[in-house]
Amino acid sequence: MATASFHDQFVALFERQFQKLYRYLDRLSGEPELAADVAQEAFIRLYRRGSLPDAPEAWLISVAMNLFRNVKSSRSRRRWLLTPARSEGVLGDPPPSPEQAAIAGEARGKVRAALDRLPERERRLLLLGAEGYSYRDIAAALELNEASIGTLLARARRAFRECYEDPSDAP
Amino acid sequence: MHLDQEQVQRLMHGEPVADPHSVRQHLASCTECRERLDAAGRDEAEVFALLRQLDHRPPATDAAAVASQARPIRPAWGQWAAGILLLAGAAGVAYAVPGSPLRDWVRSVAAWIGGSERPPAPAPGQTPGPALAGIAAVPGPEFVITFKSPESGGHARVSLSDGAEVSVRGPLGAASYTSDANRLVIDNQGSGATFEIEIPRTAARVEIRVAGKRIFLKDRARVVTNAAEEIGGHYLLPLSP
Repeated sequence: MATASFHDQFVALFERQFQKLYRYLDRLSGEPELAADVAQEAFIRLYRRGSLPDAPEAWLISVAMNLFRNVKSSRSRRRWLLTPARSEGVLGDPPPSPEQAAIAGEARGKVRAALDRLPERERRLLLLGAEGYSYRDIAAALELNEASIGTLLARARRAFRECYEDPSDAP
Repeated sequence: MHLDQEQVQRLMHGEPVADPHSVRQHLASCTECRERLDAAGRDEAEVFALLRQLDHRPPATDAAAVASQARPIRPAWGQWAAGILLLAGAAGVAYAVPGSPLRDWVRSVAAWIGGSERPPAPAPGQTPGPALAGIAAVPGPEFVITFKSPESGGHARVSLSDGAEVSVRGPLGAASYTSDANRLVIDNQGSGATFEIEIPRTAARVEIRVAGKRIFLKDRARVVTNAAEEIGGHYLLPLSP
């Protein structure tokens, strides 16, 4: 059973990190419901652990990525945590006009295509950097040398820009 | 000497830099490096604005809801009843087996209730299992589980799981455990215990070694070990020298 102090730490961490983790997974997968499930499952596992690991943010990313790979490979999502009301929260953006939807869809598609053309490591670096994770957490989550994270982030941004601006030019 | 790219990025992101005083001093006096820092900030802001186009509204959930999902679910009364029936059935089968120690135990308990003798202590094989201790870690791409000592009589029972963490459990006090992203070390010196190891099916490569000698390898879907897969899908690996 978790102690009261752990519960408080968990709540504080959840409030700081849940949306970051969700947004990272959402951008990575393009599947908001899957991202919400995986982010919640990662926090559930953290709560069941009963204590915070040394680097909770990096731990959450690693667990979420393992879950994400698991789900993507099997597509057997054994637990759907979102109630129908919450599900509306994920996908319930106000409906745009058809014209707005078409423009937004085209712009989003271009960004998605550029992101998908990046090598896996650059994509994850770029998205973790965009969420403001510390270099230490990024290094731990991606098993990279912390001393070169800044340079790698700059390269990932440049590669993304190249893909975005010239879709025919692979990185 | 101008700032290198790592220094520019670290300044932009508020990350620590080596020798921050001289870096700040250089930046104050070097227009070119200040322009590079500004340009990097603008570039990043533009890229992040593009990425925001992918965003959906986050789910409306909170820590309390997630914590309540994490608590064990109490089985419904029907499940309790089914469990009790199952136990009763198993006890009946165990009693009926010829030579079952359960018969003698039941007789002695009946005699004790009748006042003739005290109930016997359960035989060693019937004692409740010892309390367990262990460790769990999220495995990196090449993860090694090491038992520091070969021990006669010691075993590792290995199974593949749908979880995300490698876990090792053994009787309380049988070993001490340490881990990092790439390895998990079990100091099992002097213990002939059996350790339960769970390895995620999704883990890319996990090795188990005893004093440096490999006894088990899971490399993606492939498992390499001298031990045969047992009923229940686990492998019983001796930790003997």
